[in-house]
Amino acid sequence: MNVSRREFIQITGATAAGLAVSGLGFDLSPVKSRAQMLKTQYARETVTICPYCAVGCGAIVHTGKRGAGRVINIEGDPDHVINQGALCSKGASLKQLAENEKRLLEPMYRAPNSDKWRTVSWDWALNEIAKRVKATRDATFTAKNAKGQVVNRTTAIASVGSAAIDNEECWLLQAMMRALGLVYIEHQARI
Amino acid sequence: MTNHWIDIKNSDCILICGSNAAENHPISFKYVTEARKKGATLISVDPRFTRTSAKADIFAQIRSGTDIAFLGGMIKYILDNRLYNKAYVAAYTNAPFIVGKDFSFKKGLFSGYDKTTRKYDKKTWAFELDEKGVPKMDRSLKHPRCVFQLLKKHYSRYTPDKVSRITGIAVKDLKRIYKAYGATGAPGKAGTIMYAMGWTQHTVGTQNIRTMAIIQLLLGNMGVSGGGVNALRGESNVQGSTDHCLLWHIWPGYLKTPRASNGSLDAYNKKYTPKSNDPLSANWWRNYPKYSVSLLKSFFGEAATAANDFGYNWLPKVDDGVPYSWLDLFDAMYKGQIKGFFAWGQNPACSGSNAGKVRQALKNLDWLVNVNLFDNETGSFWKGPGMDPAQIKTEVFMLPACVSVEKEGSITNSGRWMQWRYQGPKPMGNSRPDGDIIMDLFQRIRALYQDGGAFPEPIRNLKWDYLTDGKYDPHKVAKEINGYFLKDVTVKGKAFKKGTLVPSFTYLQADGSTSSGNWLYCNSYTEKGNMAARRSKRDAVNGIGLFPKFAWCWPVNRRIIYNRASVDLKGEPWDKNHWVIRWTGSKWIGDVPDGGWPPLGSLEKPDPKSKWAFIMRKHGHAQIFGPGRAEGPFPEHYEPLECPVEKNLMNPQRVNPVAAIFEGRADTFATCDPRYPYVGTTYRVSEHWQTGLMTRTQPWLLELQPQVFVEMSEELAKLKGIKNGERVLAKSARGSLECTAIVTKRIKPLNIAGTVVHEVGFPYHYGWRWPESGKEDSANLLTPSAGDANTRIPETKAFMVNIVKI
Amino acid sequence: MSKSFFVDTTVCTACRGCQVACKQWHDLPAETTQNRGSYQNPEDLSFDTYKLVRMKEREIGGKLQWLFFPEQCRHCLEPPCRDTAGQPEAIYTDSATGAVLYTANTRGLNVKEIIEACPYNIPRASQDGTLAKCDMCVDRVKNGLQPACVKTCPTGAMNFGDREAMLAMAKKRLKEVQAKYPKASLLDPEDVRVVYLTAFDPALYHEFAVASGYASGITRQVALRKMAAPLTRWIRALG
Repeated sequence: MNVSRREFIQITGATAAGLAVSGLGFDLSPVKSRAQMLKTQYARETVTICPYCAVGCGAIVHTGKRGAGRVINIEGDPDHVINQGALCSKGASLKQLAENEKRLLEPMYRAPNSDKWRTVSWDWALNEIAKRVKATRDATFTAKNAKGQVVNRTTAIASVGSAAIDNEECWLLQAMMRALGLVYIEHQARI
Repeated sequence: MTNHWIDIKNSDCILICGSNAAENHPISFKYVTEARKKGATLISVDPRFTRTSAKADIFAQIRSGTDIAFLGGMIKYILDNRLYNKAYVAAYTNAPFIVGKDFSFKKGLFSGYDKTTRKYDKKTWAFELDEKGVPKMDRSLKHPRCVFQLLKKHYSRYTPDKVSRITGIAVKDLKRIYKAYGATGAPGKAGTIMYAMGWTQHTVGTQNIRTMAIIQLLLGNMGVSGGGVNALRGESNVQGSTDHCLLWHIWPGYLKTPRASNGSLDAYNKKYTPKSNDPLSANWWRNYPKYSVSLLKSFFGEAATAANDFGYNWLPKVDDGVPYSWLDLFDAMYKGQIKGFFAWGQNPACSGSNAGKVRQALKNLDWLVNVNLFDNETGSFWKGPGMDPAQIKTEVFMLPACVSVEKEGSITNSGRWMQWRYQGPKPMGNSRPDGDIIMDLFQRIRALYQDGGAFPEPIRNLKWDYLTDGKYDPHKVAKEINGYFLKDVTVKGKAFKKGTLVPSFTYLQADGSTSSGNWLYCNSYTEKGNMAARRSKRDAVNGIGLFPKFAWCWPVNRRIIYNRASVDLKGEPWDKNHWVIRWTGSKWIGDVPDGGWPPLGSLEKPDPKSKWAFIMRKHGHAQIFGPGRAEGPFPEHYEPLECPVEKNLMNPQRVNPVAAIFEGRADTFATCDPRYPYVGTTYRVSEHWQTGLMTRTQPWLLELQPQVFVEMSEELAKLKGIKNGERVLAKSARGSLECTAIVTKRIKPLNIAGTVVHEVGFPYHYGWRWPESGKEDSANLLTPSAGDANTRIPETKAFMVNIVKI
Repeated sequence: MSKSFFVDTTVCTACRGCQVACKQWHDLPAETTQNRGSYQNPEDLSFDTYKLVRMKEREIGGKLQWLFFPEQCRHCLEPPCRDTAGQPEAIYTDSATGAVLYTANTRGLNVKEIIEACPYNIPRASQDGTLAKCDMCVDRVKNGLQPACVKTCPTGAMNFGDREAMLAMAKKRLKEVQAKYPKASLLDPEDVRVVYLTAFDPALYHEFAVASGYASGITRQVALRKMAAPLTRWIRALG
């Protein structure tokens, strides 16, 4: 991805690595700063849109090319025509959303009346959910309502969400839920 | 938004009411600031002085739930002082339409109200039609029953004095605001409204926005640059998720969810395709069957044929007259009628109004699937405050979704811009893109139905071919949403090959020869490529910040909708400096026009090739008189369901006579109850987002706003002996919340009809799961299960509470 | 050519993007805070917080004002901290940008004296006695990028560039603002590289908004005179 830098500012009399040169032979790196090299220097750049409010600000994601390949830095995209590089406190902290030790990383299951979570595999979780969907749907499916009109639905399964997923995912989600016969389909736009 | 974020810079007067843009849409202030530096006036009207108010030229503190009184007073001011754009009003709105003789408004009720059903029979609200079936009009606006005269009469009661006594805003402040905003009625001037949930989350939410829409139409502010009715939507893709209709009442592209009485596709299309007998009305929804059939083709692919009504009856239908909205859903769950539940990227245990009821309802489920980035109060409800896991039978599956930067796809911002985003790092751990989870889950469900089950047809026939190399492929879905030609066809003289993408919705067909998962997005991913991924920084010829080749916006990349109203009858822009479209004599230039027809020319002898400006309306005119709304064609002030006043000063009906009200055990209310003497409201802060799940898990953001708080005036704090920064208990008829008191000069006691009324406010971003102290919980424990009569959006912006020391 | 900031507080909305962008770029940890009855948090600058938007509610001329002051090191032209320390391997001025930079060698200096020398009360020490503060994102600047706080600012409150250009921008904006706020002023523009514009008396924003507010009533001139002694020590240290 070719991301230009219209914020580029001119430095005269200094090269990119000029800071180390003190003439005195000391390490003059500022505390907690990498003065000679940008931490993003060898990162891969991708553009994204902020996942918080609906202004739709652009941001640049710097991902490490080596090691775990995780996010090194996220900051405003200067080439985005709306925010032109700006981000609010939430947008500015996006890296911490991705690189967050509290994130869920495995499917989990809580059995009836249990007081704890159990880590499970995706295979197991999705198969079990599919079975529950079928059992509940088949047991409650209504072909005709009280007036005898064709309704082909179940009102015993409901779904809420989500304004936080992509358009393509929203479309798939509603298609799946409608094909299953759900009518209780709602999300954030209602509240 | 009818306009878009950048366009705010072109405004002459910005009213921020029902939103707090500086805090909740901070980057919008790039453009608010730019407008102000060019001389625009910024007005902030809010129950408290916010970071938006801090930058405003004029600030007024309003009592929550009284916006219609405030705005109705503005309508009266605009009419009394003739500040409206008469040429615009006469040509583009239904102000000249004649309303039937039997229409009336008495004692707070419009004609046709039935007390027992709490519903209106709307037949007396209809327009008089001529012999051809076209509404009768008086373009001079003088007919005593024309909309304009009825409007004058209706709002004649909204005097500054009465409005002041209801809202708490001093008369002099009201007049200052009305004058500043009313000045945008001058041709060439533009005023804009930035609103959000502060207006929608009321039992009169829809009518709050209708009142503002009336103002914008009177002032000629619709369709113009720097104007519009701009809902500042709160989530990154709530516009897209609404467009794709993850909502009970609509199908993708705002088509109607079929009712049980719509027994066949033909009956369904007939019912929802409006008919106009006016040759000058574009009546765009006449194309309804093209969109519905194309959608069914996207749902069911080749299995959808004319012989089987394109699979119409494979899709579920709702009972006529029965709502299935959020409040109804959780009421049904509370009553044990719902067994299985998906909470997908949403946290209802904190976001639902009357959250205590929601949390109790979850106990009645057999199974719950919770898909999210973090453990939340919904997935772990069974170990939340006051819960005994041993007594809760619900099975819970918690599925880890990945973060947006770890996947590819598009989202649609508040300005209707669809923007593509790319994958940075791979999903962390075993988290997966939501799209991947949905694809996988449905394949597994479908497999189970190969051996039978109840009504397996829709499950077996759903088109589900969106994988590439075994993984969810967002490009394939984006193309399906845009739509394909399914046969070699010639449309409008152009030949198209089977399997190619449809260039725009004007080419969609009702015969099954095209598919489109959402007609509004047809034009977003074409043979020219992925329009949402465009990045050109070149502006359009009018230089007003449209950036037409940056991303893509619906419909058909029109950046400012209703733009045919931005010009006069000759096609000349009202505003020569910030023009949107302009007629060159042979074509329109500038933005994508609302249809390519030539200008009207004149009202007396309109060009027969032209069309009225508001093409989405059946009669081609914007609706100052809105006969489709549940509580009446003109907005009227009603008090919130829970309010501090015994009487509505505007009319004898205290609350909206058709508001959605729940009356079960968990739905108690308290009006004018000394136990709950203070008005409460909820809101957001800049540093957190929604229920806070994606922000209170972040140390940097938690550092900025670590705890749930209640803001109150110095006067109220003194009265209650509360010190700044101490923990207090807030109580409503439904629940209580421990929070930190912020005693501030930014809220003052209100003078409501001579009585002192205190208002307090809470951010609703918190929940017991994070921060780990477990002591910060949701302000929705306090809010009521009552809703708007049209949308059934809960009234979380105005309710009654008490604050006590701990 | 040296650099400067121009901070226009009249358009700051306290979105605090700058406060977080600073932590993000510098990988600084969050502090554990509590709500003290104010939106402002943390309460003060610290070893882990270089940038802080101060927020004050004031009634001025009968009108409520919520004043926002995005505070950071002023990068003085003649920094008393540097001269008090007297050790260029610990505190020095970068010749290309004019940034006043602290290194790990600040550990072991007389921290109290250095902090007291600052007319703006900026430097903060860690438990081990190392000093830290805003470093002008000198790594970004040297690589042609705006400082993180400037880059992220949506409204034009934070500006950065060549000193002459920033001073010109500040003076032009001052004139515009003075039309509405006659008491508007630029704060110590001749002495610092972070030039604030305030609409009202700077003392209403923050005790140390201007150098004249320096602790115990000592004027900046006195503070500058205090440099003499450490300066001798600095030369001795080099010798």
